[in-house]
Amino acid sequence: MDHPVLSHEPVAVEPLLELQSHPECGGLALFVGTVRDHHEGQSVKHLAYTAHEPMAAKVIRAVEADTRERFGVPYVRIVHRLGDLAIGDIAIVCVVRAPHRAEAFEACRYAVDAVKHGAPIWKEEFYTDGSSAFVEGCCIRDDLDESASPRPHRHHSHTSHG
Amino acid sequence: MIPIVFELYANLARLAGTAEYRLEVADGARTVGDAVALLGQARPELASSLDRCACVSGDSIVRRADALPADGRIALLPPVAGG
Repeated sequence: MDHPVLSHEPVAVEPLLELQSHPECGGLALFVGTVRDHHEGQSVKHLAYTAHEPMAAKVIRAVEADTRERFGVPYVRIVHRLGDLAIGDIAIVCVVRAPHRAEAFEACRYAVDAVKHGAPIWKEEFYTDGSSAFVEGCCIRDDLDESASPRPHRHHSHTSHG
Repeated sequence: MIPIVFELYANLARLAGTAEYRLEVADGARTVGDAVALLGQARPELASSLDRCACVSGDSIVRRADALPADGRIALLPPVAGG
């Protein structure tokens, strides 16, 4: 069963928790990333997320499956918001159900990081001074080693909401 | 000449002033890398950003050494920043 992993509408957390399911699970780890009102010294008024939707959905589903496999947890659910968001709006939700808390926490963190670093989603911030900018992100090109061109940074030091 | 349509995202679309850019590439262009290099020549303002873009056909990443996609569409994905 494929749940939507991208949402153009506000995301409701409660339906994602599946509290009535998974009786073998004593742990539920939840991460909710929300829109922050500042970024690297600038005052953020609102922001917009855009995506290459077919690939973003594919990447997020792969992260869910990989996280279940890697941490041996039965339920991983990720939803990322797209469109125009206000301060405080939910940008990303990740829910992990697990028998014990340790793997729930670890799996949840792993899944959120993997989405941030791999899903083709972009964040444009709009600042209170009237300017805007796309947040510096992670390069997902995977054949740089075969290229003769100078190597841009491939790994992830960007700060972001959530 | 082979028509290639580049789909542009995020800051790349902003730089180009368009979400799609059509380019007629010479018959000698065989690979994704060839087409991207020609795009950089046709739109120099994009050239410095192209190295950090992943190329996608459909919902899969294609590499610079891969053959041009049969449907003639290449999505250029700048560094990502979700979450």
